[in-house]
Amino acid sequence: MSSNAKTAPTADASVEHQIRSLAEKRHLPAPHLEQWLGLDAPSSARFLEIAQKLRLRTGQLLGALDMLSEIAVRERADVAAILSKPSVARIVDGAGSAPERAHQFIEEVRALRYPRLRNAADRIRTEAAAIRLSRGARLVLPKELGSDELTIELKVRTVAELEKFISALGEKRAAIARIIAMLGGSDDV
Amino acid sequence: MTFELDAVFIEEGSRGSALASRIARALPPEIPVAFVPDGRAAAIPDGSADPFGAGKRRMVVMRRRTPFLSGCPAASPRFVCCGYLVLALASNCPMDCSYCFLQEYVADNPGFQVFSNYADAFGELDRLSHASPGRHFRVGTGDLADSLAFDSLTGLSSDLIPFFAARENLTLELKTKTCEIGNLLRADPRGRVMVSWTLSPDAVFRSSEHRAASPSERIAAARAVLDAGYRIGFHFDPIISYPGAERDYAELADALLDSIPAARISIVSLGGLRMTPALKAAARRRFPDDPMLCGEDVLAPDGRYRTFTPLRLKLYRTLAERFERAGAKCFPYLCMEPASIHERVFGVALRRPAATAERLAQA
Repeated sequence: MSSNAKTAPTADASVEHQIRSLAEKRHLPAPHLEQWLGLDAPSSARFLEIAQKLRLRTGQLLGALDMLSEIAVRERADVAAILSKPSVARIVDGAGSAPERAHQFIEEVRALRYPRLRNAADRIRTEAAAIRLSRGARLVLPKELGSDELTIELKVRTVAELEKFISALGEKRAAIARIIAMLGGSDDV
Repeated sequence: MTFELDAVFIEEGSRGSALASRIARALPPEIPVAFVPDGRAAAIPDGSADPFGAGKRRMVVMRRRTPFLSGCPAASPRFVCCGYLVLALASNCPMDCSYCFLQEYVADNPGFQVFSNYADAFGELDRLSHASPGRHFRVGTGDLADSLAFDSLTGLSSDLIPFFAARENLTLELKTKTCEIGNLLRADPRGRVMVSWTLSPDAVFRSSEHRAASPSERIAAARAVLDAGYRIGFHFDPIISYPGAERDYAELADALLDSIPAARISIVSLGGLRMTPALKAAARRRFPDDPMLCGEDVLAPDGRYRTFTPLRLKLYRTLAERFERAGAKCFPYLCMEPASIHERVFGVALRRPAATAERLAQA
């Protein structure tokens, strides 16, 4: 956690009680509970408020705590400041069901944690979608761009279908080659 | 001696060894020395809050019970390997880089071990040399330890350099992040010793490479050993992605190439930061405030956290292009990356690993 977080007072008794209670209900592992309680008071309280409001599930709590703590280190900010960013506040205070907003909240925290990855992945996804392969064929991008491998998935029942796909892929060769190049970092990242 | 020690433990069986005598003579008087029946017991975690960190300050002079020479532990069929051979003369390191793999690799025996029977390694090397007289091998001591960090205390380089200087098909690589080159400047390597430095931009050095020499000091030390007849190499490894990294790595390469002509650099390796989940957890626990551990790293197919691929490749290309433009004769290689990544960065598929190893050993 950032040095700011370390010197600031930690959660007050009432907030701590609520955090412990939620942690018990969600079976939060002890290191993550410690991590939460170790935040400065405004940060732990704000995260509690969001966790309750959006009814964050265990996996979401763990993921959000990890990502927020890493963003805090990188940006040398406290978690409360990150959670008060307009893009986050809009989701927390916006319309929609709690599970839907919880999902959006995690996605937004992920976007803050991995801003360049998010941009690169969005660009590649947009290009891949524009290729418009026929039904039964699909381009599968590597998870989180963790590798340079593009998977081309074909579902066929007959040789004729296979030949049709191969011919269609040939026609899209240049566009697919562009995706392969993008996975190798050919564009601005 | 540049680095601090809390204590030195000497295994009874090593008491009369040349290494123990040299260390005892060179050790500052305030550092306590104790004799123990089995050095392994002194090397295990000590129960402190940071046993790995404590182990770095506890030197254990002991016999090595297993072979000294082995293949590089990073080698894997997944990766195109450089054929580097590891000579384990010591284990652990007095510097404390936040990203260091030793935090996981030697977590169970973190004491700084120096092996008193290191002369046995010469027998292993001679057997290797005689078994394959037509081949060349690059052998390094800087995998489980920094090759030079305690050289003023152990004097190991004074034995290693003449040994390798006398063998045509063996090249010694001393890999370091220090400026401990005093003993090197007094020896004649006869062209068969390479000294290599891991290089990082100032931002990474300041944030992550605790107790290491600064990048400019490392470059100056490299220049000095080059002038003394050594071959030199540089490892940009780990390359860390942080805001401004492309600019910083390019400037680092420029600073290096301003001091040392590209044509006189024997090897350059590039490697992205890679951490197993266990290593990442250990590193974050020990260095919770280091932003370099919070880059855009994702879980890669090999089970390690790595900078997501397009960004990692962009950083590799930035450096590779710098060396190419400067007229480097050496072909940079990538550490722990698959063949497809080599091809994407350098535009050509790497030759067979054996051929790469041969070329690097003679570089």
